Amino acid sequence: MKKKLYLKKISLLTACVMTLSILSGCGANPAPTENAAPANEAEAPADNSSEDAASSEVPASPEAVTITAWHDNDEAMMNALADEVNQALAGENITLKFEKKSDVTGQIRLYGTDAANGPDMYLFAHDSLGGFAEMGILEPVANLIDPQKEADLLPMTLEAATYKDVQYLMPVYYETLLFMYNKALWEGDIPSTTDELYDYMAAHTDANAGIYALVNQHSTSYNVAPFINGFGGYIIDKDANPGLDTQEMKDAVVYNSKFAALQADGDYNTVTTLFNEGKAAAIIGGPWLVSGIRDAGIDLGIKSLSDFTLPNGKAMAPYSGVQCIGVLKYAAESKKDAITRVLEVLAEPSVGIVLAQNFNCAPANSKAYEDPQVAENEMILAMEKTAQTAVPMPNIPEMGVMWGPAEGLLAAVNKSGEDVNDAASKYQQEALTAIADMQ
Amino acid sequence: MKSTGKKKLYLLFLNLFFICVCLLALVPVLYVFLLSLSSGGGALITGASGSLTLENYRKIIVEKPFLQWLFNSIVLSVGTMLLAMITSIGASYAFSRFRFRGKNAAMQLLLLLNAFPQILSMFAIFRLFRLMNLLDSHAGLIFIYAGSMCIFGIWNMKGYFDSIPIEIEEAAKIDGSGNLQLILRIIMPLARPAIIVTAVMVLIFVWNEYLFATTFMLREESYTLAGGLYQLQANDYSRSWPLFSAAAILVSVPILVIFFCIQKHMVSGLTAGGVKG
Amino acid sequence: MKKHSTKIYAWLYCLPAFTLIGVIVLFPILYTGYISLTNMNLYHWQDYTFVGADNYIRALVKVDSGFLSALATTLLWTAVNMILDVAIAYLLAVGLNVEGLRARRIYKTLLVFPWAMPAYVSILVWRVGMFNTEFGLLNRFLTALGFDKMDFLSRNVPAFLSCMTLNLWMSLPYMIVMIDGGLQSIDRSMYESAILDGANPWQKNWYITIPSLKKIMAPIIIMTTFTMFKQFDILYLLTMQKGAVSGSTLQTIITYAHQNAFVSNNYGLSSAVSMVIFVFIIVFSLWTNRAARTERSEQ
Repeated sequence: MKKKLYLKKISLLTACVMTLSILSGCGANPAPTENAAPANEAEAPADNSSEDAASSEVPASPEAVTITAWHDNDEAMMNALADEVNQALAGENITLKFEKKSDVTGQIRLYGTDAANGPDMYLFAHDSLGGFAEMGILEPVANLIDPQKEADLLPMTLEAATYKDVQYLMPVYYETLLFMYNKALWEGDIPSTTDELYDYMAAHTDANAGIYALVNQHSTSYNVAPFINGFGGYIIDKDANPGLDTQEMKDAVVYNSKFAALQADGDYNTVTTLFNEGKAAAIIGGPWLVSGIRDAGIDLGIKSLSDFTLPNGKAMAPYSGVQCIGVLKYAAESKKDAITRVLEVLAEPSVGIVLAQNFNCAPANSKAYEDPQVAENEMILAMEKTAQTAVPMPNIPEMGVMWGPAEGLLAAVNKSGEDVNDAASKYQQEALTAIADMQ
Repeated sequence: MKSTGKKKLYLLFLNLFFICVCLLALVPVLYVFLLSLSSGGGALITGASGSLTLENYRKIIVEKPFLQWLFNSIVLSVGTMLLAMITSIGASYAFSRFRFRGKNAAMQLLLLLNAFPQILSMFAIFRLFRLMNLLDSHAGLIFIYAGSMCIFGIWNMKGYFDSIPIEIEEAAKIDGSGNLQLILRIIMPLARPAIIVTAVMVLIFVWNEYLFATTFMLREESYTLAGGLYQLQANDYSRSWPLFSAAAILVSVPILVIFFCIQKHMVSGLTAGGVKG
Repeated sequence: MKKHSTKIYAWLYCLPAFTLIGVIVLFPILYTGYISLTNMNLYHWQDYTFVGADNYIRALVKVDSGFLSALATTLLWTAVNMILDVAIAYLLAVGLNVEGLRARRIYKTLLVFPWAMPAYVSILVWRVGMFNTEFGLLNRFLTALGFDKMDFLSRNVPAFLSCMTLNLWMSLPYMIVMIDGGLQSIDRSMYESAILDGANPWQKNWYITIPSLKKIMAPIIIMTTFTMFKQFDILYLLTMQKGAVSGSTLQTIITYAHQNAFVSNNYGLSSAVSMVIFVFIIVFSLWTNRAARTERSEQ
């Protein structure tokens, strides 16, 4: 009897929840309108600061527009960026709102033609440009903004934002890898050649005790690029020919593997923890590491990778990654003016200064470097210097399939001890197949 | 007397054995738990971690729309559970009790359909839902989850239904019960363990699913717990390990509570009914 | 007359389930079949056209030695995991059902914990917290015992065993709960009469428990076999995620397909590869089905 009662209660309860769920299910579904803007506006107050909420609840003019942008970045940084833009556009009823997505490129591929659900723009590194451009889902930024407004942007960043002679993206800031060291742990001066660096590592590493001189994500192609580019190798060239089995590449991979043997496991979590815990005296990394390093209370020293000379006499040359805003075609059609305004603000130095001051990002706008605080920022100066020898990541669509084979080659040599010639030809073949499969 | 002493010793050993097994199985969980209490912003437990703190839990609950996500997870899992169970109990009963042409073939076909990796279906479902305007809606996700668990439910319960002797039903049929009444009055109570286990399985599946939840849900307010956690913490470069661990523990606990509470109802309804092996 | 009506009833009961399955499971398969006949890729994202069987010709080229070794790995993976999964779960479930074990509810709940965590959390925690060379508990344990550090994921055999351990950790709870449920359904009186006949525990297991479980467990074991067969997350996230490629070259057919077709974003081609794999799975299941049937008829 008791059990039956219990079952009845359960079924009653579940029925209630079900009803609720259906109701809320419908509620969560935006009204089937052509334009998603009204739905977005209605939600904006919940997330924005009270000041914004007040203004958007009672729109001063009927044309209030919310621009949604997807990203996969540090949330605090993106919010600071949005605040800066929104402040500049406060009088124009335009609100920029960032939403974090774990797989931005995958999501853009799905939603890039879906005006009802997709975002208006996204922020991502420039290497994904070619693929999206070929898909035909991007509106070239050049169509939206007067070139005059972009006059101050660094030529390198504009080049990265350009694919097949069309400027598709709006550069915001750029990153390069740096040599970052713990001033309390590093003994003596920082070497100026990689051979000396290696000698220092050999003398100061005790893997069994978990003590390292320098750690790096030694099997990640982005982190090995300083060697590859410095040796004159390339992962893929301008004409989409993979270069995994070139002699320069093999030399770089072998040279890097010497370092890798003294660099623990190359996993991101491992190397950052080693550095933050004071188990590694130096790390090759970027500005994204800084907040963790600060929390750990480390006195951080920085040196540009272009200050290290490789055995061939050339400087190390990392990739530069330019974080850019891309605009989706449907958004450019329905919200052209608002988007143009957002892009114009993004092209101004003020945005770069905010990102530089608080998050050590190197602004794309050259005028931002005139700000005294930016001009003194050691990290940004180092990146600025590195940028002169850095190689912008290729942005052709074929680059998308190169990360896998390149990383496979590095892991095979560094971790599985495979012969470099065998591995190089194997992964070159894999890369060629992957490129052929794209067509 | 001697045999009870022996039995006690035996039980003691068994208890020790299970304590060891549980500890061993829970090592990774304990790892996560310790990490969730660590105060540093660091990544991994290195042995030299500082004081313990509940700060990470507070952050998750207060700074993220945790309650909203919890609510979404409950709505989705209960909704899916009901839809999946109603559909699969019906079908399972039919497969177990009726003889009709193509029955075995249909069972086999379902199994084969289920073998198609779900991740490959995503694009097609995306296209379909876009047409049906079911993207970014909980109802849409409930359909996806129920559909993908339905075959599982049918297969999971059919074996159990088969083991319920048909004589019991025939007796009830003579009393004039219809098929639907048979299911409600006889099959459901007798097959309670199988039904509850299947329902819990569906619940856990939905609770922990993140790929569809993050791909099809677009606004932070509509995420589920697992989806929200994935969305914010899947990326190595922006993950805070202590927060991530605290969230992982918070996601898991409701499942454990449910499981603990439901256990006594998983005791067979069959033993009372007297079943022949 | 009566027979006719049961037939209608049968289909009526199945109708809701079949509708749902039709939309969520069958439709995507058919749609994948449709896309596999087109040239949908980055360069023809919205203007794709029919290209006939082109993609299938290219997909079949991928059925090379790499694919066959991936297939062999998959079969080995499925077999080893299934055997261990069922055997260990059976032992634990029988242990949990020993009369007088008061704390069984607590044990069961604790053992279910791995299942209560989202899969990506478990995998990430194992990768970083267990297998990691610097901070992984396994390596700390090894170094504490005086052994050298070991990279569990960089070579194929240790990587296979590591993935298997994690897979078992994640899938045992389900199997324990299912077998436990099955054990509950066995008529106690059968044991009582067996004890009267002087049967020892081993004989009770062999002659009563296992045969009684077979019928209930068969569908569950078949289902789990398929789950093991198409397991993707563990191997992928442990050994080949971008930024954390471990160096092992272990591939199952699903990861093989992923690496050889999906990264290219050529939807037409990858759909064709999916369909080819699907055919392989069908053949595999028909084969296991036949094996199961012959076993049944031998009994």
